Amino acid sequence: MATILKSEAGKGIALSAPASLYVGLLVAAPLGILVAYSFWTQTYVEIDRTFTWANYSEAVNDPLVRHLLIRSIAIAGAVTFATVALAYPIAYFIAFRTQKKALWLLLITIPFWSSYLLRVFSWKLILGFNGVMNSALISIGVIQEPLTFLLYNEFAVVLTLAHAWAPFAILPIYVSLQKIDRSLLEAATDLGCNRLERFIRVTLPLTVPGIIASCLIIFIPTVGDYVTPALVGGSQGKMVANLIQVQFGAANNWPLGATLSLMAMVSVGIVAILFVLLATGLGRRIR
Amino acid sequence: MSDQNIIEITGVEKRFGSFVAVSDLNLSLKEGEFFSLLGPSGCGKTTALRMIAGFQDYEKGEIRIGGQLMEDIPANKRPTNMVFQSYAIFPHLDVGDNVGFGLRKLGLSRKEMRERVSEALEMVELGGLERRKASELSGGQRQRVALARALVMRPKVLLLDEPLSALDKKLRENMQLEMRRLQQKLGITFVMVTHDQYEAMTMSDRIGVMFAGQLKQVDRPEQLYARPCNREVAAFIGGMNFLNARVTGENGDTLSVDVDGFGPLVVQKNPNVLASGTDILVGIRPEQLEIGAKQPDGYDAYLQGTISDVAFYGESVHYYVRCEGLDDAIVVAVPNYFHTVDHKPGEPVWLGVQNASVIDLGAREQ
Repeated sequence: MATILKSEAGKGIALSAPASLYVGLLVAAPLGILVAYSFWTQTYVEIDRTFTWANYSEAVNDPLVRHLLIRSIAIAGAVTFATVALAYPIAYFIAFRTQKKALWLLLITIPFWSSYLLRVFSWKLILGFNGVMNSALISIGVIQEPLTFLLYNEFAVVLTLAHAWAPFAILPIYVSLQKIDRSLLEAATDLGCNRLERFIRVTLPLTVPGIIASCLIIFIPTVGDYVTPALVGGSQGKMVANLIQVQFGAANNWPLGATLSLMAMVSVGIVAILFVLLATGLGRRIR
Repeated sequence: MSDQNIIEITGVEKRFGSFVAVSDLNLSLKEGEFFSLLGPSGCGKTTALRMIAGFQDYEKGEIRIGGQLMEDIPANKRPTNMVFQSYAIFPHLDVGDNVGFGLRKLGLSRKEMRERVSEALEMVELGGLERRKASELSGGQRQRVALARALVMRPKVLLLDEPLSALDKKLRENMQLEMRRLQQKLGITFVMVTHDQYEAMTMSDRIGVMFAGQLKQVDRPEQLYARPCNREVAAFIGGMNFLNARVTGENGDTLSVDVDGFGPLVVQKNPNVLASGTDILVGIRPEQLEIGAKQPDGYDAYLQGTISDVAFYGESVHYYVRCEGLDDAIVVAVPNYFHTVDHKPGEPVWLGVQNASVIDLGAREQ
């Protein structure tokens, strides 16, 4: 044991062992089980373990699955775009326009002090038929009847998630902005750029890695999110995760649920890879 | 170099809170001149350079470049370009795009731009490296790219902020000569900030020495060395032995003085001194003193002492000589002619000095 720990490779294995064990038991093994299930069949209360592609052909040919998958990706895209677009100016402000960076970073994490579920519920209270927003607007006389487009649709899902994800977008972008050597910005000015040109030609390309990180951190979990759509999405705001949940629950069809999960995972993977390639390529094109 | 002034700075002052970074700066630079601002760190030289570039505002005074008042002209519209201390090479662009960065604003044709970039790279001896990534450049190459990127804009004035401080000694010495040659060929005014006196002296036509926000003396390097205006400047540039002296008589351009240790000597009046009086300070450069085991012939004044320390520098040997009645040891630098160190610590020696070697540094208290 002692000699193994002395070699470089041995040290590496020893250091990564706890994490490998954890990942193996809690990620790789469940994933393997999921893959196995997707090739089996549910027969009332038992599982028929003969290999079949039936679940996949059923899922691919079901227009509801296709529709929900596309909607999930679209909503996740909208959430990602809204969050990053709102987060960038905040990150920029903290990195370049204030001396009280620690205070601002602390303020940004304040939403985390209450639970995610509570935050989703508070949006329900704010956006609801008799919610804060509607009562306020009625009492100041802007509207007569409560607005109904606020809750139980895609808009509510995007709004709620954009709020929930904000710190995850702000922090990576802030880090990439903070890393920029200030003399690079002065050099751009010195070479004739005004503020906008300087931003587009120097600041933005240098923060592409931060933007990509933010987008992935938000996009990937959003596609699979089911709490928010279930609570504030209504019927219009349902996403693929809600369907998967039904398969594992009420519908009691684990193999189909597993198939849907894997299909969602693969779709997210493909979209994410395409996005990274596109964003990196665009970043490189800026001269 | 022409007689036309390219930069005129009058009465400029900059404060950071109560700290005066630059006080009452007055300076005129000639077209085609290589000018250096020399001083210890924190003396305000970089602030002064940044004011010329437009990166630093100021409370009082005015700056003109080519006769035009710079007050309302932002940094990106000024006819100046800068080589930054960190070089500020854009890490996301290759060498060619770095050098061509500013050219994109000028609306040149693709071909014209390529030509100007490759011409600028030739100039700094990096020809053909257009597609090299910024991360693959050595320190010296980064410095050259920064230089090419600024020169390709054909500025009226090139500003250099400690351009060589990040390079090792050998490379630095090569670059000093190379940049000097380039400046003479292009005829562009160079304004360099440095804390390295040798760098300033080898490269510049004129040097301005700054201390604590004040420009103390502006002169040609050899004048700065021979006629520094006070003790501060004399001590910053080269080595110097300082001795107290009393003025005993005045005759036109010369002063008769009684120098501590050496006794009566006749010195040239220094036109640069800020204040004079009867109690003055004189300076003698270490390399201008003669040292010998016996009294050397043909000198105007002598002093006896004992060697306390010997320091061997390779090209010269420094002897520290303790003399009766003097608080500080006198330093004598002897060129290494024959690879010998002639004196040892503890040896009694004679020092000799000529009138012409003694520098009048003005009133003692100033």
